[in-house]
Amino acid sequence: MIIQLILCTLLLGVVVYAWSERRRSPAVAMLSSVTATSALYLVWVPAHASILAAWAGVSRGVDLVIYIWVVISVLVLLNLHLKLRSQLELITALARHIAITDAAARYTEASRPSGGHEQKAA
Amino acid sequence: MSKEASSGRRRAGDAWIIIPAYNEERVIGSVLSDAALTGHRIVVVDDGSTDATADVAAQTAHVVIRHPVNLGQGAALQTGIAFALLQDAEFIVTFDADGQHRAADVARLIDALVAERADYALGSRALGAAVDMPRSRRLLLWAATAFTRLTTGLNVTDAHNGLRALTRRGAARLNLRQNRMAHASEILEQIANSGLKYVEVPVTVEYSSYSVSKGQRSSDAVDILLDLWLRRLQP
Repeated sequence: MIIQLILCTLLLGVVVYAWSERRRSPAVAMLSSVTATSALYLVWVPAHASILAAWAGVSRGVDLVIYIWVVISVLVLLNLHLKLRSQLELITALARHIAITDAAARYTEASRPSGGHEQKAA
Repeated sequence: MSKEASSGRRRAGDAWIIIPAYNEERVIGSVLSDAALTGHRIVVVDDGSTDATADVAAQTAHVVIRHPVNLGQGAALQTGIAFALLQDAEFIVTFDADGQHRAADVARLIDALVAERADYALGSRALGAAVDMPRSRRLLLWAATAFTRLTTGLNVTDAHNGLRALTRRGAARLNLRQNRMAHASEILEQIANSGLKYVEVPVTVEYSSYSVSKGQRSSDAVDILLDLWLRRLQP
C-alpha cells in the first residue's frame, strides 16, 4: 500500500507536469499524460499488468513495466538532448552576433583612411 | 559572380581567407605568415581560445573575430563566412589553423572557381598529396568519403578537407548548424542540396605530429554520425 501511494504521488506529478507543458510541446504532454495515466491504472490494478505482459510475451507484469520504463527514459533523454541542441543553437547565434558586431566595428574603425594606408583590426 | 571574377581578373581584396582557430598559439603565427603571402585578406576566428592565439593572430591577420566561448570549428567557420559576406567578399577560402595546408593551393582553388564557373572548389588530398598521413587517418578518410558519396550523391574524393574556396553566391547558400566536426559533412550535404556547381582541386595536406594530435580521432567518427543523425531530428 505504501509503495502504491508513493508511485501514485509521483505519477500524479507527471500528469501535472504534462498539463503544464501542453502548450510548449503538445506531443510530449499527450504522451506523458497517457503513459502516466496508464501507469496509475496498473499501480492500482496490478493483475492487469500481468495479463498485458502475457499478451506481449513477457513473463511477469513487473518486467513489462520495467521494459516500458526503459524505453520511456530513452525517449525522454533524446527529447532533452534535442532541447539542449536547440539551446546551443541560440547561444551560437548570440555569440556569433556579438563576435561579428565587435569585429566589424573594429575593422571599420581600423579601415578608415589614416596616413594613407589601411591598418589591421584585432 | 562579379564582372572581374567572371573575366578571370581578380584583386587580392576580392578573396577572404577564413581561419578558425582554437588554442593554436604554437603554430598560428607561421600559418598566418604563409597565408599572408597570398595577398588576400585574412580573418582568424578565435573560437574562445584560452591561450594567446588571438594575440598572435592579431599581428598578421586583418581581422580577428573572437567567440566569447568555445563553440566548435563549424561554428567558427560560419562566423567567418558571415563576416566575409558582410564585407562584400567575392571569394571565401576556408583554411585550417594547424599548419596542414599550403597557401600556394589557395590560388589554384580560386582559379578553379573562375575557370570552371563553379561556386565551390573543394581541396582534395586524394587528387593531390597527403604527406605523412597516418594509416589510421587514411582508413578513416576512406570511410568518410564513402559515407559522403552514399548520403549526398556527390562524387567527391576527399570528404573532410578544410581547404576549400567558395564564391559569394555559394557561401551565401551555406548555413552551418553543426558546430563541431560534423560540419565538414554538413557542408557537402548543403552543397549537394544547393544544386550549384562544385569542382575538386588537387591540394597538398601535410601531417605533422602537432596536426595529428589536434585533428580528428577514429572515435570521432561515431560522434559525427550521431550529430548528423540528431540534426535530422531537429526542426
